[in-house]
Amino acid sequence: MKKKLLVVEDEKNLLVLYKEELSKAGYKVTAVMDADAAMEQIKAHSFDLIITDIRMPKKDGIELITQIMAMRKDIPIIINTAYQSYKHDFMTWAADAYIVKSASLEELKAKIKELIG
Amino acid sequence: MIERYNPLLHEFSGETSKEIQLFSIIAQSFFQPFSLLDNLLVIMTALTAGHGVGFNRAMLFLAKADKLKGEFWLGPASAEEAESIWRVLSTPGIGYPEIIEHNRSLLNGEADTLTKRIKKMSYTLYKGESLIPALALSTNEIVLVRDARNEPLVENRFRETIDTDEFLCIPLLAEKEALGEIIVDNAITGKVIRDRDVELALICGLMAGNYIYTAKLQKRVVDMKKVAAMGEMAMFVTHQLRNPLVTIGGFADQLLDPKIGARKRKRNLQIIRSEIRRLERTLMQLTQFLRVDIREKSTIDIQEMLNLVLESVRPRIDSLKLTIDVEVEAGLRVVLCDPIHTGEAVRNVVDNAIDAVGNEGKIYIRAFREKADWAVIAVQDTGPGIPESIKDKIFESFVSTKDKGMGLGLAYVKRVMDACGGRIEIKSTEGQGTIFKLCFKTQPRERGS
Repeated sequence: MKKKLLVVEDEKNLLVLYKEELSKAGYKVTAVMDADAAMEQIKAHSFDLIITDIRMPKKDGIELITQIMAMRKDIPIIINTAYQSYKHDFMTWAADAYIVKSASLEELKAKIKELIG
Repeated sequence: MIERYNPLLHEFSGETSKEIQLFSIIAQSFFQPFSLLDNLLVIMTALTAGHGVGFNRAMLFLAKADKLKGEFWLGPASAEEAESIWRVLSTPGIGYPEIIEHNRSLLNGEADTLTKRIKKMSYTLYKGESLIPALALSTNEIVLVRDARNEPLVENRFRETIDTDEFLCIPLLAEKEALGEIIVDNAITGKVIRDRDVELALICGLMAGNYIYTAKLQKRVVDMKKVAAMGEMAMFVTHQLRNPLVTIGGFADQLLDPKIGARKRKRNLQIIRSEIRRLERTLMQLTQFLRVDIREKSTIDIQEMLNLVLESVRPRIDSLKLTIDVEVEAGLRVVLCDPIHTGEAVRNVVDNAIDAVGNEGKIYIRAFREKADWAVIAVQDTGPGIPESIKDKIFESFVSTKDKGMGLGLAYVKRVMDACGGRIEIKSTEGQGTIFKLCFKTQPRERGS
C-alpha cells in the first residue's frame, strides 16, 4: 500500500509541485495551505509522514509541530523551509529532518525514503 | 525669575576673555555636522587665532597603527596674515560654515606650502623612546622644546621643516587611546611660550583627543548597524528569492520530461512566467528601497502630486470598485522635498490603505495646513488596523502585516520623510482602521506674506 504524506505549504505553486512530484515518486499525497487545515487532516486521517513549511501566515510551522507533538508523537516530521536560520530555534529540533528548499527535490525525496521507505 | 541661554549660539560680550572664546569655539565644533577633519581644523584655527591667546602655527599629526602621520599645518606665512585670520574668526555672527570654508580655501590654495611640507612625514611610535615629534604621543606627555637647534631628541628633518627653536608638542589622548598630536609654535612673532600657553594647549589637546575618540566610536557604531542591517536583509532577500526560484526550477524540470502533455506544459510555463514576474517585483522594491538618497529638495505642489498618485493607483481602485474621497485645502503651500521619492512614498501609503480595506471599506485622503509651517497629507482607511504587537516596529524594514509583504514599504516611506526633514505619524485602532499622517515642512514664508 502507498505511504501517506501530508504536505503543508502556503505557496500555492510550490504545493502543486510537491503534490505532483511526490505522487510520481509513489506516495499518496495530501496537500494543505495552512496549519489549521493540517491539524484537521491529522485528526481525521492517519499519515506516515508530515512535511511542513515554517513561515506561514496565521500559524507558523513551529506552532504546528508543537500541536502535532502534543497529539501524535509517532509521526515523523520534515521541515522544508526557505530559511537556514530556523535551525537555531530549538523547537525545530523536534522534527526528524530540516531541509532548506531547493529546486531539486532529490534531497527531500531521499529524506522521505530514509524515514519511511 | 530665570534667565535662559542657548549654549550653541551664545554671543560673547567684548569683555569675555579670549581663552573662554577659544574654548567655546572648540566645544561648539563638536556639535557641527562637518567631517572629523573639518572640525579638527576649526580647533586648530582656534589655537592659532592671533594675538593674546593663540599660537602662530599649528600642525596636526594623526596616529595610524604604530605611525604618526602629518595631516595639516595651519598658519599664516606672516604676521599680517595671522591678523586677518583672527579677524575672520572674531567677526560677529560668523558661522562654522564660513570658518570651514576659510580653512578649506587656505588648505587648497597655492599658498598652502606648509601642509605640503608635512603631508609626507611619518614617524614610528616606539614605546617611550621615540624622537620628537613622536615622543609626546609615545610617552603621553606634553613636550616643550626650548632650543630645537641643540636638542638631540628632535628628529633632523623635522627640525629643518619647523625651522624654529621653540615649539610645543601636545598629545591627543582619550581613554586608553593615543590618537594624534598637535604641534604649535610662535615662529612668526617670536613670542616666548609661557606656562599659561602650555595650560591652554593642554586643555585643547584633551578636548580634541576626546572629540576624535568620540567621532571614531560613532563611526564604528554606524558601521556595525550597517552590517547588522545587511545581515538581516541578506536573510530576508534569500527567502524572497528562494521560493520563486524553487518553483521555477521544479516546474522547469517537469518540462524536460518528454512525456509531458500539452496542457501541463502550458500550465508550467504560465507558472514559471508568473514567478519570474514576482522575482522582478521583489528586485524592483529592493532597488527602490536602497536608492533613497535625497540630495536636492525641490518644491512640490501637493495637489499635483496627489493627482499623479491617484492616477497610478486608479486601475486597482477601479478593479476593486473602491472610491477614494480626496480633499485638499485651498491655497495649501508647496512643500520642499524630492518629487519622485515623495510621490512614491505617498503612493506606498495609499497602496497600503487599499490593501487594508480590500473591496469593502473607505479611504479618505486629506491635505491641510497644520500650525504655521507644516503641510499634512493624511490617508485614512477603515481596514482592520495594525496589531498592537507590531505597532512599534511598523517602520522597521522587513516587518509586515501582510502575508506576502516584503515589509519594505513603510520603511521606505520613513526614510523618504526623514530625508525631507518631515515626519510620519500613525494612529491605528484594531478593528477600526488606520490614519497615516505625512507631515512636510512647507517653504518658509517670505517676509510680509
